Amino acid sequence: MRIIDVHTHPILRDDRRGWSGAQELITRARAHGIRHLVVLGDVLAYGRSPTEEQIRKINDDTYRLMRAYPGEVTGFCHLNPTLGEKAVRQETERGVARGFRGLKLEIANNARDACMRPLMAAAREHGLVVLQHAWSMTKIRQRSFHTDPEDVATLARRFPDVRIIMAHLTGCGPRGVLAVKECPNVWVDTSGAAPEAGIVEYAVAQLGAERILYGSDAPIRDFGVAIARLTGSRLDAATKRKILHDNARSLLQLP
Amino acid sequence: MKYFDASSWIGRWPFAFCDAHTAKSLRVHLRRHGITAALVSPLDAVFAPEPGPANRDLLRQTRGMAGIVPVPVINPGLANWWEEVAICGADPRVRAVRLLPNYHGYRLGLRAVDELMDELAVRGWRLIVQMQLIDQRHEYHALNLKPVPADDLAALLRRHPGQKVLASGLLRPDLVKLALRFPRLLCDLSFAEWFDTMENLTAKVPVRQLAFASHTPLLITAAARAKLDLSTFSVAQKRAVAAGNLERWWGR
Repeated sequence: MRIIDVHTHPILRDDRRGWSGAQELITRARAHGIRHLVVLGDVLAYGRSPTEEQIRKINDDTYRLMRAYPGEVTGFCHLNPTLGEKAVRQETERGVARGFRGLKLEIANNARDACMRPLMAAAREHGLVVLQHAWSMTKIRQRSFHTDPEDVATLARRFPDVRIIMAHLTGCGPRGVLAVKECPNVWVDTSGAAPEAGIVEYAVAQLGAERILYGSDAPIRDFGVAIARLTGSRLDAATKRKILHDNARSLLQLP
Repeated sequence: MKYFDASSWIGRWPFAFCDAHTAKSLRVHLRRHGITAALVSPLDAVFAPEPGPANRDLLRQTRGMAGIVPVPVINPGLANWWEEVAICGADPRVRAVRLLPNYHGYRLGLRAVDELMDELAVRGWRLIVQMQLIDQRHEYHALNLKPVPADDLAALLRRHPGQKVLASGLLRPDLVKLALRFPRLLCDLSFAEWFDTMENLTAKVPVRQLAFASHTPLLITAAARAKLDLSTFSVAQKRAVAAGNLERWWGR
């Protein structure tokens, strides 16, 4: 089965292998049948609120991978919305010129914050997909900068013509699935935490198979384990194929 | 290849949409995934006032079921822990107990835990310490539960260097740290992950300290198999992790 992974970070400082680690990761991905990776950058390399220069370095690493693996890597441009409209615009346009197809938001701010407006406007203007980190985090009280699924839903309703991927299905849980159920511009990726049983089937039942995308969060997660969240589920073969490949191909307009 | 599962459960977990297995349905499920032997504990012991009834049910359900090895849960924070060990010990299949310190409200430094360790040594039994059952961020929202501190386990291992202990549910960084410090410690793989889990772990940890664990039904059984099966390990290494290391620890 051919697979598209919409959530990877091949270069991660924690891995301490740098460029060679990224190469090893992509080689391993191929061995698992992954034909295309969405690279989101080393988004926490400089803490949760990187400077303009740090953002550029992160995106330069992603671009290096795009050039080294043409046709195999799609880059998403990491942004820090708290840096303001000018910085967001400049980096988005730099990314678009390089062929980035999406924007990646981490934990610099909550997705419901007003600083998201210029970024979402840029996403709409350039037809970019926004991948928003999300987790059901209210229990540990970090919502000032962490995005809960409910915040993704707020963002999606404010910008119904921007396509959003809510990261970390397992982290968002059933509550998160329900939060975005009525937001047709939100897709959910299957990454996040250990491979808990039952959540993928629940998400498909609530959202439909078309709105679920396979994502691993590698290198933090094992490719084999991440794929087995689908192949080891009770979903039928056609649904698995949609989630592992077809939905991402359609969303990202990949060949 | 033979698989001996270090962590699987019967009973119901109320906070997720996962299967609630009887011993019979668990055995069918595991065999479907090529797992022919498993250490099995009762989920019903996690939140019950005391684990006795769940242990009794475990022993009853697993009787005569080849490959399904009952591991009762003991709560040393309760006054009847010794009596519970004695009752479970009347069943000759019982050769290990599992502790759930974070769910049962005690630390591994509790005096009764040391007394339990002495009792296990006398009986020649093994100890399994469950470091976590699920990701702490996904515990029911009204509960405030964190994994067992790795330092607590380290202190216990220092106090009882001769005891055979299996740490279940360690995250990768703690697994590496503890395994390096305690060469006799066996660690299951249920929660350890990196993009190349097995290769990453064994760059630092000897293969002989790692044991396959599916953590069924809380985690996806096929995912546990994939972690090992799709690694670049040699057949001998895979055999050791799949069953050999746990069999040696168990004394089979």
